[in-house]
Amino acid sequence: MSANPSTQGQAETGARPFSLRLSARDLLRVAIFAVIFIVATYVIGMLGIISPLVWLLIVPLQAIVGGVTVLLFLTRVRHAGMLTLFGVVVAMFYLVGGNTLLSSTGIVGLGLVAELILWAGRYRSKWAMIWAYTVFGLSFFTPFLPLLVDRTAYLASSNFTDMGKAYVHASDTLLSVPVISLLACIVLASSFLGGVFGSAILGKHFVRAGLA
Amino acid sequence: MPVPSLRPRRGLDPRAKILLVIGCSIVVMSPAGLRFVPFALLLAIGLALGERDWRRAASLPAAAGVMWVLGWWLPLWWPNALTAVVSLACVYLIRFVVAIGVGAHVIVTTSPTQLAAALRIWRIPRPFAVTLAVMLRFFPVVGAEANAVLDAMRLRGLVGAGGLLRHPVLSVERFTVPMIAASLRASEDLSASAILRGLGSRRKPTAMQPPRFATPDLVLVLVTATLTTAALTLPAPLS
Repeated sequence: MSANPSTQGQAETGARPFSLRLSARDLLRVAIFAVIFIVATYVIGMLGIISPLVWLLIVPLQAIVGGVTVLLFLTRVRHAGMLTLFGVVVAMFYLVGGNTLLSSTGIVGLGLVAELILWAGRYRSKWAMIWAYTVFGLSFFTPFLPLLVDRTAYLASSNFTDMGKAYVHASDTLLSVPVISLLACIVLASSFLGGVFGSAILGKHFVRAGLA
Repeated sequence: MPVPSLRPRRGLDPRAKILLVIGCSIVVMSPAGLRFVPFALLLAIGLALGERDWRRAASLPAAAGVMWVLGWWLPLWWPNALTAVVSLACVYLIRFVVAIGVGAHVIVTTSPTQLAAALRIWRIPRPFAVTLAVMLRFFPVVGAEANAVLDAMRLRGLVGAGGLLRHPVLSVERFTVPMIAASLRASEDLSASAILRGLGSRRKPTAMQPPRFATPDLVLVLVTATLTTAALTLPAPLS
């Protein structure tokens, strides 16, 4: 991936980096990459059906897979608003697909923060793209947010208390704030790795194929 | 000989479907949401049967049944820390199964033009409405490309949880690179065609079939109200 891939794109869209005006082609780009992002992470996530334990291991892997798609998308982002729009439509789609309102709001917030990071790098910096994805990759942690915010209510469900001491102890440990925070740190580290991996994959495959 | 009607069967109003799925997600995913899970599952199965989608109608109770056995019965039969962890995950995931079941109905039965018309009536800003409608159009394309790549990987014996866990990064690369490249190539033609047909135009388009509240929506409202009342008044089987 080039650190300065801009001139061709600016000529192509005629857009200034900080303009908020989105052309039809910008909207199509956001839509295409949002779909690729959702499908790629969904296919990997389907492996989690094998076992809930595999599901927990798959979450960091999803963050790595998302890195390839988002980094390729960010090389085509020419001005402000596109990453925020990406975050909003992904969040809206997840909301329709069964995510919680809290989780979807979290994704929108992460998209905004990632947009600010990209803006600070003037939409051209490779490291700003990697850090922007590192923040946005936390969206894979957002489905766990309700467990963190309303832990007591989830544990108060009677089936948790009917199943014996071992069960209550395991649930108390597994849903504790330190364990969920550890998971957030793992997802954050995986997102960073996903950003670096995505950047490497762009250089290895997509630039050579003329797609980045 | 009877002439088949050219008018397509009128389904649910897309706005009713969107409100239904968001309502279901909020209710089922709330802390007390387990009480609503069986009733929302009935609703999801009913919607699938209404569309004659037998596969979805069969897979939803099967998935929820597996979660129920692993989440509620496994720790009673074989109590230890491992089954407790599996059970906890299933108790949380069964909510997703139900919410995804209702959401799948919206995604499968709503066309991009219907969604765009519904969002226009709600005065959703153009960037969001156009992007969401285009996403709905691209899902089958990207899904087909992903399936083709998975088939090719399967032929070479590269698909499987074992291989993924042994070489995660290599597996990810083998899947994502051809999938993204093929999807982008397929999307170029669709993008050009969509722009030529006026997608993203600032003029307000008209809909061939504007969304209207009709009898199926009334039936949906009545069924949802009955199931909600039942969930609130009957003893909760899962919680």
